[in-house]
Amino acid sequence: MSEVPVVSLEGVSKSFNGVEVLRDIHLEVARGEVVSVLGASGSGKSTMLRCINWLEQPDRGTVKINGEHIGVDAQGKQMSVRALASLRARTGMVFQSFNLWPHLTVLQNVIEAPVHVKRIPRSRAVEEALALLDKVGMGHKRDAYPYTLSGGQKQRVAIARALAMAPEVLLFDEPTSALDPELVGEVLAVMRALSLDGYTMVVVTHEMEFARAVSDQVVFLDKGKLIERAPPERFFTAPESERVQRFLATHR
Amino acid sequence: MNSQTWLLLLEGAWTTVWISAVSIAIGVVLGLGIALVRMLRIPFVDQLLVLYVSIARATPLVTLVLFIFLVAPTFGIVMNRNLAAILALTLNTAAFNAEIWRGAFLSFSKEQREAAMACGMTPWLCFRRIMLPQMITVSLPGLVNEMSFLIKGSPAIAVIGIVDLTRVTNRISAVTYEPLPPILAAALLYMVVIYALIQLQALAEWRAHRLAV
Amino acid sequence: MENWQIVWEARDSLISGLFTTIEIFLIGSVLAFLLGCLVVYLLEQAGPWLRRALRVAIDLMRTLPFLIFAYLLYYGLPSLGVRLDAWTAGLIALVIYHGAYFAEMLRGARLVMPAGGVEAARACGFHGFTLFRRILLPQLLIRVRPLIGNQLIYCLKDTAFLTIITVNELTAAANSIQAIYFIPMEAFVAVIGLYWMVSIVIELLVKWAGRFGRKRGFDHV
Repeated sequence: MSEVPVVSLEGVSKSFNGVEVLRDIHLEVARGEVVSVLGASGSGKSTMLRCINWLEQPDRGTVKINGEHIGVDAQGKQMSVRALASLRARTGMVFQSFNLWPHLTVLQNVIEAPVHVKRIPRSRAVEEALALLDKVGMGHKRDAYPYTLSGGQKQRVAIARALAMAPEVLLFDEPTSALDPELVGEVLAVMRALSLDGYTMVVVTHEMEFARAVSDQVVFLDKGKLIERAPPERFFTAPESERVQRFLATHR
Repeated sequence: MNSQTWLLLLEGAWTTVWISAVSIAIGVVLGLGIALVRMLRIPFVDQLLVLYVSIARATPLVTLVLFIFLVAPTFGIVMNRNLAAILALTLNTAAFNAEIWRGAFLSFSKEQREAAMACGMTPWLCFRRIMLPQMITVSLPGLVNEMSFLIKGSPAIAVIGIVDLTRVTNRISAVTYEPLPPILAAALLYMVVIYALIQLQALAEWRAHRLAV
Repeated sequence: MENWQIVWEARDSLISGLFTTIEIFLIGSVLAFLLGCLVVYLLEQAGPWLRRALRVAIDLMRTLPFLIFAYLLYYGLPSLGVRLDAWTAGLIALVIYHGAYFAEMLRGARLVMPAGGVEAARACGFHGFTLFRRILLPQLLIRVRPLIGNQLIYCLKDTAFLTIITVNELTAAANSIQAIYFIPMEAFVAVIGLYWMVSIVIELLVKWAGRFGRKRGFDHV
């Protein structure tokens, strides 16, 4: 059973207004694996991530979470909204712009989906949420509203919100790109801790140091194509493709 | 509906349009006057104007039209219907317009005024050449919006027996015994006029937006 | 002063007029508000045809005077065999007409709302009505709150039009008192005062409701 990958993309392609942003992507992420996705901006890495939970619909190809089709079933039939939502509930996503819900407190943000999507009893959801907030170092802000928090604090709450769904995979979409440089560290520290806890993670990022130190695999996208996949030690020292060598040379 | 009834409808439409147009014209200028006087912050006068705006905003047009038409004779003033209607619509719309003008006035930047003074302009010249043109552009979307609200409120004048575009439908159906066609036709005419104003407002918004950037 | 005495003695008819006005305003505006929310939910969920139809219906209401719409229901519908009494026709007119304005207001707020919050909700598995009720609607309400007071006052004022289709509301009460005793000044000053008081109460309530938004950092909207 453990052979079934948590995430698998097979032949995923997508274009926006005639421009191909993803071309025939194949990617498998095993349980407990941390995969960093690198590439220049506009290379399609965010789109690929958003295809995993079907926020973006691929034109071709299949996406599976834990072996289950998402979006369209094996026969190519569109899934019901409800079925899609319940599959999405098994993934957790962290956005570049945090996307906390401004009308709810920190704690309410974290328990909102467990209570109203997963229908977990409120008291249990609160208990779990407090533990998660402590884990990301935000327990003391449980009753604050999002607008009072710094970017780094918002992102840590957003991570707790994603964790609260007990997801099978965590999807990070450039989680530190909108942060002031001095706030990047606190978010990366939380992410590193999660990787040590054994979470399966797909991280779209520009943080080379993080990719090198934390990930099990690094993949590189160029113009919508996945052109390199390697463990970090090989990726950063002896990449096969000339494109990656150039990329690394300019991003040191 | 025959041509006779259409003619009656158009007559009603004309009554609505000219009474509204006169009220809008006076109301826009009066609103500006009220806004300017409020800017001077004259004690007592200021509070009086605040009270006027607050009451006028809360008073239904039907009530105001009846009030003016019925109360004037008790002061010995002979009030014809059209005059009462124009007075009521004007008093109502001027209160809203005053707020719109005031908003534009308050948002005018101090730096621009200082720049004008530094060029040697007198306050009056500065107002006329620098402030007013910009205030008009900024206020215009709100003013046009208020115009369409005035037209939507204008059927209130029917209550004192003016045969406007709404009231005329009663007249027609009293003869034809078919109320639905004239009401629908009147609705169509209102839609044409108000739709035109909404388009105008979009244009004004576009122009005001251009000024802002 | 004698005239005010007369108004005081005729207070029963004023109070009953005020009661009718407040009754029709409260029921009308609450239902109109719920209708507005429903329409915005449908705009969110429905297919392109229903969406287009709803947009047209909203724009139709926005280009019509309230009274002509009330005429349509009260004088026009009997031609189609639907006979409503003045109170019911007035209420239905109020609900549909102002429902369209509420819907337009919420739709406007929806257009400028950042997409991220909804996206995050979808990623958490929210969909359909729960997504609307828990995530979208609260934020829309906070954003349109400053406009709601104005709309409610328009709704209150539109109830006075119903005097023309023979609903015995507050303005009708003033008119009948002045006709019987010939004291137009006092009768109408009293009634305008009552409208003014109701509108002040509305504004205070809406301002009070604003603290929900302020606490959440929505001061700027």
